[in-house]
Amino acid sequence: MAQKKDIPGLIRALRYHDADIQMQAAKALGTLGPGAIDRLIRALKTKNKTVKLGIIGALSEIESPRSIQPLIGTLRDENSEVRWQAAIALGEIGDEAAIKPLCEALRDPDKYVRFGASIALTKLGWKPQDSTERAYYFAGMQEWMAVRNIGKPAIPALAGLLRDRDSTVRMKVIELLGSTGDKDAIPALMQSLGDDNREVRWNTVLAAPKCGISLPYLPRGLSKRPQNMKNPWIAGFLNFLLPGTGYAYLGKWWGTLIFSFDELATVYILKMEGDTNSYVVLLPVYLLLGFHAWYMTTKIPKDPP
Amino acid sequence: MVNIDDLKKSHDIRGLIRLLDHGNSDIQWRAADALGNMGEPACDPLLRLLDFPKVNVRLGAIDALGGIKSPRSVDNLIRKLKDDTDDEVRWAASIALGQIGDPRAIPALEEALKDGDRYVRYGAIKSLEMLNWTPSDETSRAYALIALQDWPAVRKLRSAAVRPLIDINKDPNPVTRTKIVELLGEIGGPDAKKACERALLDRDPGVRWKAVFACKRCGVDTDRIPVILADRPRTIPSAFGAAVLNLFFFGSGYSYIGKWWGILVFLCYVGVIIIIQLNWDVLFPYMYTYPFTAVFAVQTYYMVKRMPDM
Repeated sequence: MAQKKDIPGLIRALRYHDADIQMQAAKALGTLGPGAIDRLIRALKTKNKTVKLGIIGALSEIESPRSIQPLIGTLRDENSEVRWQAAIALGEIGDEAAIKPLCEALRDPDKYVRFGASIALTKLGWKPQDSTERAYYFAGMQEWMAVRNIGKPAIPALAGLLRDRDSTVRMKVIELLGSTGDKDAIPALMQSLGDDNREVRWNTVLAAPKCGISLPYLPRGLSKRPQNMKNPWIAGFLNFLLPGTGYAYLGKWWGTLIFSFDELATVYILKMEGDTNSYVVLLPVYLLLGFHAWYMTTKIPKDPP
Repeated sequence: MVNIDDLKKSHDIRGLIRLLDHGNSDIQWRAADALGNMGEPACDPLLRLLDFPKVNVRLGAIDALGGIKSPRSVDNLIRKLKDDTDDEVRWAASIALGQIGDPRAIPALEEALKDGDRYVRYGAIKSLEMLNWTPSDETSRAYALIALQDWPAVRKLRSAAVRPLIDINKDPNPVTRTKIVELLGEIGGPDAKKACERALLDRDPGVRWKAVFACKRCGVDTDRIPVILADRPRTIPSAFGAAVLNLFFFGSGYSYIGKWWGILVFLCYVGVIIIIQLNWDVLFPYMYTYPFTAVFAVQTYYMVKRMPDM
């Protein structure tokens, strides 16, 4: 296909499930030179992630300045791998027009994208202008000691990194915010007390006093953490209406068992006793089960801090 | 619309107390702040709330009492620190005692350094620091350093840290237990060796894995480690239980072992039972399905037996 310059065929090959074939297709597209650029840029509009990754790889091989703007566009792609690949490609092409968007990519919530952007900026010979930019750059490179040495000016960059989905990054950031010992870190630390990860919250508790958060405020911050609380009224209502489903709502595997028992028992009693008598028997049982699920929910302990 | 400032101006203690149970945590804390600024008149109503069934209300009351700083609340807060079943309430009590700054709280706070919860231990040591407390010996220094999670300093205490580390190893948090086992392995000695062996039976696989290395460092015979490890509590469901459930209630055995589709199988099975019951007027339709479900019971038994339990 590469010899025939079959661009649509090679783009189709990018969808192949075999990673080796995808790589070969991307490489072949990269050898087609500037003549393939327009078709590749058009194909970049696809929703398919692997196709996008292959095309970005090919554009990176061709190294044409015409691909800079489309690649800058993909730095805002919803998929983090595509953004990462785009950052790497912009570094490979080596056009200075990419510097500003790559600096913005240093603020990306994904560590891979930030790492790619830092590497690309290094390749472009970019140097941070001030302490804040230096903090973003070293954070992107995961050079935490260098970030620590920056001190207070690193706080905005560190606060932004708390959006990272990786809890180990957030823990590192909390430790560094604590090491600044500055009150400017307080809003970020207070927010992290409500983090969804238990160890991030604990590290925040250890870091908070170093920045001047007084101890009584810590339980307040922690009270904002996500709680997997179940509603007792929903559990009770479900168990009254469809016995057993209230227990299933509470995560009890045997809830469905009770539900099915009820189905069987109801059919059996209806057959034996007729409509009216059945409900006289079943209604008090349903009320009791509804109350039990409600009571059980109220007794579920809170998630530990 | 809640106006805390109006309640504060009119000294409406009861109104503010009602807000401690508000659905919005900001309002709860603002109400606690306002109560904390009310001074002595709010003390008695707040002390009565310390045994309120709802945790949020107890937390708000303790927070407000910490703000009032009345010596009258010290005994009640000590009782909360010792006896409350909720970790957060004990933590809040330890912080409030530090805020009040009454030295009567020192023995209770020292005891709280041995609490099973790391938040309570941390609150206690921070309050003890506020009360200018200093450890009387190496053992209490070890408890203090463990509470601060200052692991390098704990390591330096060597044998003096062994007993406190073993004591705190009851912490429900596996991260803390992992760190403790690691330190015990480094410090060594007969007590540490026994504790590391016990850690091989920990319910958390991460702690058990760390204990393998700690045991080796402590001098536990390498061939003894797998023997102890084999006695660990099972974390996977019972194979027999799953088989019995699938025999009598086909599908529920799969649900029991965590297969999401178990409920679908079970509902299909119940559907078949109801059809048999309604159409053939059979009193015990299950009897007809047992030969079929017995095959799956055996299959489930071996399925669970093959599940890894690390």
